[in-house]
Amino acid sequence: MNQRVGVAKTESKWKLSRELVGKGVTVAVILGVIAFVLFLGYKKHFETRHYLQLAIDGIRGGSIYALIALGFVVIHSVTGIINFAQGEFVMLGAMLCATIYHSDLSLPPVLKLALAIVLAVAATTLIGVVLERITIYPARGSPVVALIIITIGATITIRALALLAWGTRAKWVPAFTTLEMEDLTFRFGGLIVKAQSFWIWGAVAVVLAVLFYFFERTVMGKALRACAVNRRAAQLMGISPSRMSLLSFALAAALGAIGGIVLAPATRPTYDMGLILGLKGFVAAIMGGLVSSPGAVLGGLILGAAENIGAGVTSAGYKDIVAFVILILILLFRPQGLIGGGERAVEEG
Amino acid sequence: MKRLFSLALVIAVLAILVPVAGAAPPAQGEEYIVRAGDWLSKLADKYLGDPMAYPAIVLATNKKHGEDATFAYIDNPDLIEPGWKLWVPSAEEAAELVAAPKGTPYKIGFAPSVTGGGSFLGVPERNTAEIIIEQLERTGGVVGPDGVLHPVEIIMGDTESKPDVGVSLARRFIDEDEVVALVMGSLTPISLAIAEVAEEAEVPYVSMASSLAIITDPDTGEMRPWVFKTPQSNGDVAAWQVERLQKLGVKSACYLYENTGYGKDCFKNSSKAIEAAGITTAYSDSFERTDTEFPQVAGVEASGCDVVIVGAIPPGASMVTIALRDALPDIPIIHGHGVCTEDFITTAGAAAEGVELPCSAVIIAEDVPGDHPQKAVFMHYKKLYTEYTGEPVSTFGGHGWDGLMWVLDALKSLPDGLTLEEQRAAVRDYLENNIKDWPGTAGVFTLSPEDHYGLTAESFTWFKVEGGKWVPFPKEQW
Repeated sequence: MNQRVGVAKTESKWKLSRELVGKGVTVAVILGVIAFVLFLGYKKHFETRHYLQLAIDGIRGGSIYALIALGFVVIHSVTGIINFAQGEFVMLGAMLCATIYHSDLSLPPVLKLALAIVLAVAATTLIGVVLERITIYPARGSPVVALIIITIGATITIRALALLAWGTRAKWVPAFTTLEMEDLTFRFGGLIVKAQSFWIWGAVAVVLAVLFYFFERTVMGKALRACAVNRRAAQLMGISPSRMSLLSFALAAALGAIGGIVLAPATRPTYDMGLILGLKGFVAAIMGGLVSSPGAVLGGLILGAAENIGAGVTSAGYKDIVAFVILILILLFRPQGLIGGGERAVEEG
Repeated sequence: MKRLFSLALVIAVLAILVPVAGAAPPAQGEEYIVRAGDWLSKLADKYLGDPMAYPAIVLATNKKHGEDATFAYIDNPDLIEPGWKLWVPSAEEAAELVAAPKGTPYKIGFAPSVTGGGSFLGVPERNTAEIIIEQLERTGGVVGPDGVLHPVEIIMGDTESKPDVGVSLARRFIDEDEVVALVMGSLTPISLAIAEVAEEAEVPYVSMASSLAIITDPDTGEMRPWVFKTPQSNGDVAAWQVERLQKLGVKSACYLYENTGYGKDCFKNSSKAIEAAGITTAYSDSFERTDTEFPQVAGVEASGCDVVIVGAIPPGASMVTIALRDALPDIPIIHGHGVCTEDFITTAGAAAEGVELPCSAVIIAEDVPGDHPQKAVFMHYKKLYTEYTGEPVSTFGGHGWDGLMWVLDALKSLPDGLTLEEQRAAVRDYLENNIKDWPGTAGVFTLSPEDHYGLTAESFTWFKVEGGKWVPFPKEQW
């Protein structure tokens, strides 16, 4: 008896010191990376404002990753599926918005843009719903891996259809502030921020607030969360997992569409923009442990800033490497995500 | 009464018939010189009594062309020029022509990058091929020097912007479809891979990608015997860029290029030429076509260079131009010929203002002076392309046009009865030796055994974007 207690004690001591060493190593690695980045930047004659500019631009891109990551998290936590079509929702949002805006409706530009945004979100949500019903629902009994592969098939299909519908030429959506192709540019202290960036950050903030309210204050949101915590128990409480799955796809599609629409004026949407955005969103979601919404948003922002600074001080060719090295590191050392928590932590605890 | 009625009927019928009889088809067939306001179905109606009989005139003229080169060769039944000499056949001759046995059909394998990263180039190329296919359907094919009509089939494929797909398509075209020639590959890496296959199989191959490496044997540095290309080389672009930089008096340049075969080839050629001219490359980096953030701009800014050169195609080229303009409103930006399309201006908007580049004058076809050797082909191609697609013309589709037209010209020189191997060899020889002072969309080509590309830097015009338009900016104004 005594002996066993002693073993437990040494084990816990051992665990504690191991944790300390682990933390020390983490801090050292982070400091090392920062020193390396500063060294590379110094060689390129970078000043503080260059780093700030890179960070600001990166966070703008990261905000889009965050919105995509939220979509991954919503679907994953409810159904266990990793929906690789998430990036295509972004593309659909952007392309539909551009198409509706450039249609022959005789409306003032403001109303036309507003209508385009609303219709694009609605249409993409509908596509998300239809996608769930015709691909995931019929295979609902299958192993999760099969369902994930189905989403990869859906990605390829959506992209091919988009190519047929829109061709390969880039489209454009007017900047929300000026309602023209040219956006308002704010300059202070050598830094440049486009007005659209504020729209992007605002959209992320609003989406987060709405999601928080939805998950915490509404019955439907609570039902979704219940499904995420324990599917079986939720089913026994009269919550239909199939309807929750449908709802999660609708929500994820809408999130993706919003991301695509606010991003559209800052870039020139094309039919194939979804692929890389989806992958980056996936990395961001992994950084949030695939279950934590705040973690996913934080992951997106960190990822965006890290890859932009990384690419800035080295070469843009390394941009994606930064993202995927982060992915591997997180999967190896912090699979529960940056913030941790969520059901996975519950399961492990 | 009844007899009277019949008589009246006969007279009426005669009255109707007489004017027709007056322009009855000539018994022998005759020469006709095209006048302004003529078109083929009008002539067919007048001489053969049926507007839909125009293919007989096309055939007869093209057949005469083989015997006597003063007769025109009609590629496109919608396009006949005043002064062309046509042959209007007699009715029997027309019937005979249409019913005459046809020669062996020719097949051409055509595959651009319809999808994938090069689709921006491949889609206009595919559209161009569709236009040519439609023309071939209407003319029935090409007529050889011996007057035999050979149907021509252009087999369409899509390399999907992947070298392996390009190679397997090329193999299929060669082995299964038994094509006479290949016109494939919108991108350099794909064309390089296909070039190997074409060399091995001894099939003439015309690439639509720009790098000189495609037509050069990597071991000997000489021309690959079976490989040709139509787009202007990046080396010629670089020559123009360096001349412009020297005029601007810059000391250091920054180079941003798209991480594609084209972008890398731009960078390779331009950086070499720039360094050789004594201008330092202060900063260079690549970017991806789908990038939304451009950390490279901070690098450009920090390096303090005097000018930025970009090697890319839209929309990537447009996005990088916007990012550069935001950070550095006054720096001169010079592009390569990859942005020679209206799309660049529409996607870059105000940021495109002041951008300079060398480009084929096809984008301003209407404004090209009438004595320009390429004026006719510019106007013709632009009209066909915009009518067919409803989209503005780009130089990319023109590379497909030039390539297919080369091959069709070569096919017109082939007598009937050759084996496939003989046909392939004859097409190759024709391309190498007979494409001389040949006005295409990319320039006036003169091919030779030492040069399977046949353009010089002269084929470019230097342009500047002003007021949302391409405006020629000749050296005298620099």
